Amino acid sequence: MMGSPRFWSWAALVAGLLYFFLPLIGMFEFSLRARRGEYSFQAYANVLADPQFRETFLYSVAVALFTIVLGVLIVAPTAFWVRLKLPKLRPVIEFITLLPLVIPPIVIVFGYIRLYNTSSWLPLTGTAMGTNILLVFGYSVLALPYMYRAVDTGLRTIDVATLTEAAQSMGASWFTIITRLILPNILSAILSGAFLTFAIVIGEYVFAALLNRPGFGPYMVWMGGNKAYEPAALAVIAFGITWACMGVIQLATRLSKHNRVQR
Amino acid sequence: MKSTVKASGAIALAALLASTAMVSAQSLAELEAAAKAEGMLTTIALPHDWCGYGAVIEGFKTKYPEITVNELNPDAGSADELEAVRANKDNTGPQAPDVLDVGLAFGPQAQAEGLLMPYKVSTWDEIPESVKDPEGHWYGDYYGVMAFGVNTDLIDTVPTKWEDLLNSEYAASFALTGDPRASNQAILGVMSAGMSRGGEPGEESGKLGLELMAEMNAAGNFVPVAGKTGTIAQGQTPIVAAWDYNLLAWRDSLAGNPPMEIVIPEGPSLAGVYVQAISAYAPHPNAAKLWMEYLYSDEGQLGWLAGYCHPARFVAMTEAGKIPQEMLDALPPAEGYARAVFPTVEQQEANKKVVSEQWDAVVGANVQ
Amino acid sequence: MTDATLAAPAPEPVDTQAPRPRPARAAALPLKWLGVAPFMLFALLFLILPTIHIVLGAFQTPEGEFTLRNLQGLAVPQVVRPFMLSIKISVLTAGLGCLFGLILAAAVTKGGLPGWIRDAMLTFSGVASNFAGVPLAFAFIATLGRLGLVTVILKEVFGINLAATGFNLISFLGLTLTYLYFQIPLMILIITPALDGLKREWREAAEILGASGSQYWRMVALPVLWPSLLGTFALLFANSFGAVATAMALTGSSLSIVPIILFAQIRGDVLQDPHLGYAIAFGMIVITGIANLVYIVLRTRAEKWIK
Repeated sequence: MMGSPRFWSWAALVAGLLYFFLPLIGMFEFSLRARRGEYSFQAYANVLADPQFRETFLYSVAVALFTIVLGVLIVAPTAFWVRLKLPKLRPVIEFITLLPLVIPPIVIVFGYIRLYNTSSWLPLTGTAMGTNILLVFGYSVLALPYMYRAVDTGLRTIDVATLTEAAQSMGASWFTIITRLILPNILSAILSGAFLTFAIVIGEYVFAALLNRPGFGPYMVWMGGNKAYEPAALAVIAFGITWACMGVIQLATRLSKHNRVQR
Repeated sequence: MKSTVKASGAIALAALLASTAMVSAQSLAELEAAAKAEGMLTTIALPHDWCGYGAVIEGFKTKYPEITVNELNPDAGSADELEAVRANKDNTGPQAPDVLDVGLAFGPQAQAEGLLMPYKVSTWDEIPESVKDPEGHWYGDYYGVMAFGVNTDLIDTVPTKWEDLLNSEYAASFALTGDPRASNQAILGVMSAGMSRGGEPGEESGKLGLELMAEMNAAGNFVPVAGKTGTIAQGQTPIVAAWDYNLLAWRDSLAGNPPMEIVIPEGPSLAGVYVQAISAYAPHPNAAKLWMEYLYSDEGQLGWLAGYCHPARFVAMTEAGKIPQEMLDALPPAEGYARAVFPTVEQQEANKKVVSEQWDAVVGANVQ
Repeated sequence: MTDATLAAPAPEPVDTQAPRPRPARAAALPLKWLGVAPFMLFALLFLILPTIHIVLGAFQTPEGEFTLRNLQGLAVPQVVRPFMLSIKISVLTAGLGCLFGLILAAAVTKGGLPGWIRDAMLTFSGVASNFAGVPLAFAFIATLGRLGLVTVILKEVFGINLAATGFNLISFLGLTLTYLYFQIPLMILIITPALDGLKREWREAAEILGASGSQYWRMVALPVLWPSLLGTFALLFANSFGAVATAMALTGSSLSIVPIILFAQIRGDVLQDPHLGYAIAFGMIVITGIANLVYIVLRTRAEKWIK
């Protein structure tokens, strides 16, 4: 191996590290400036003590949990069923799951507002609870590509057809097959999808803002305009949460590696 | 969740109340009962640090715990508020605002479009004539004067007049508080600039103000971002033109980190009045009326005073000795108000027309 | 989290299910389709119908008749300028994202660096490509803003006044810099499998034939990578075009890019024409749709080389 490419590789790496880590360091340093003249965690204390922080964060967490449950309930049985019974439909389903990546989220929520307002056949935006439901479904749509891909990848590694036939020959119902046979075997895949969904929902802004729901995303934007150092603290918290989610996904993937069929 | 029986009874009562003449105030007890039956009040564009609205809303919630206050978009401008009413004409859900707080020039505009429901509070007579619609569609709530807020960590020489802002030392430093096509505060900021160049309030101030802003933009001193506490402190907009009550509240919330100085620019000092109104399509009209009664009661007016605003009943309440001395002392110094000019509704409308229509063409400030 | 997109698609493994002969069961046909009914209903109600409603609305008058007037209404400067600006930013961030992402990915996979750096880089890229939106804007304000860490360091340690050079974070350049933070990691995630597909034998064969490093890249590696690069460019373009949260948190609603004017139009009819919103949304769908189509077509071509 020639020495000079290695120099350039190191140079590129160092430049990359600078670009990626300086904003993180800057963000952290800025968040420590709340008390004049000294570094302190005052901004974090202010943020955590703010009742609005707790309300919007808990709201977003709750919405994220509902979204994950809904996503699993819709995606896992469908992916399983398609694999088993309707393999010709797979490209169609895959195309549908890729649509949320093509259609900008702002267009989707625009569609909701025009389609499901109080003068429509499904007046979801008429009540707070209806709008919450709309939000959960909207986030499920946003998370659909990731959830489907995760579950589909998981299903690929287990022999769905044989397992199902064996279970059916022992008299298991479809419900039992899905809940007690398939789901446990793709648990790590579902966890991946779940944590990615969580990361998406927590920081999401456009849906929550346009549907006027008290989510964490709009709260962060509001803080950005109204407070000096707390936004940086919020950004650190948000980044920490994203890291934690990705970390768990990595863990889940690594733990399941020994289960995966070697290619 | 209210039972359907109770709800239908409430609807009957509300319908009865709605069918009577709107203009005079009903007995407070009946109003309270009807409002509680409705159970919710939807407000819009009420930042908590604007005229102490946070405390005012809390006071309302404490007094009437049965009424949930649903607060929409605190950063909305006056034009956005009217748009929210228009967009939700058929919507009785929580996205439709019940009550509005808009700039003086927006009151007649909304009335002409039929967006407002007339109502006269019980203290109607103590509101000055010049700031209310005789039929009760809109009525002045508070006022303050236009001033500069300066982040003195970043700015060494505090500007004292509008012309100062054209100096090169203020590169990328000045911002208005919003889009001059939609925000009353921003539109009147431009008016104040125009008045500093000798323009009569109205069309002339609009034109001259736009010229000054265009020069500022060409000099690279204007930042086309909405200025607020956060942007002042974080450094994107170290100098902001806003109402003095807002600047004082922001200064308080920053608590010296960074320090902020508030300067009423030399020359004629622009006083801006805001008006309250009830949406004609309000989903909760009785809660809206109760809210108005609360705002114009002594409690509500003092709440605004605590937020550094001069409430509409200021003169009447001072004469009746209802204002504590400490509150009077905390207000901005009186000489800024001594040279205050109160543009009339017509003057504000003329200015608004010029500014909102020609902002793009004359100033053309977009983030490059 | 409107800026996240899929990570690198895993290469298709051999399908573990062999086709089995199934007894003909005519009665089971309707039941089979019942299994996908919930999914179809969900997709229909919350994805397909809203989108179709918008697309149709772009071609309708308020009375409901077919018209091209709304699309013609797009030809005003208040709309054309944002589209041009959005396209400019998207092209720039996609191009720079591709370039820098390729350099970094190449450095990490082929550049002779220790193996653990590759894993660390991929993990970090996974996180960074999702660290978009509001927190990213705050991080950049805290770093490159007037009071940011880098600005202060440049002033105190190097004596360079960043503001005096005319740099402003709230600008086209500032937004580009911020967008690159999630564009580059996305590029790294997608191009790394393609780089892995560059077999070592090709490099060795090129060396034996006397090619220098740059000749290898120019004549062997880049032609092979070309479909992947172009495809990823298209993907990054679409990603940047639809992004709104980052820009809003950075500039408020002052930066005239398409998602922001659409946002303002949805919130309050700032353009004084309700159906213009539909037309703008339709324009967005067309642009991101084309970009994604290009990506998919090129990705299929590129996957030939990976096998």
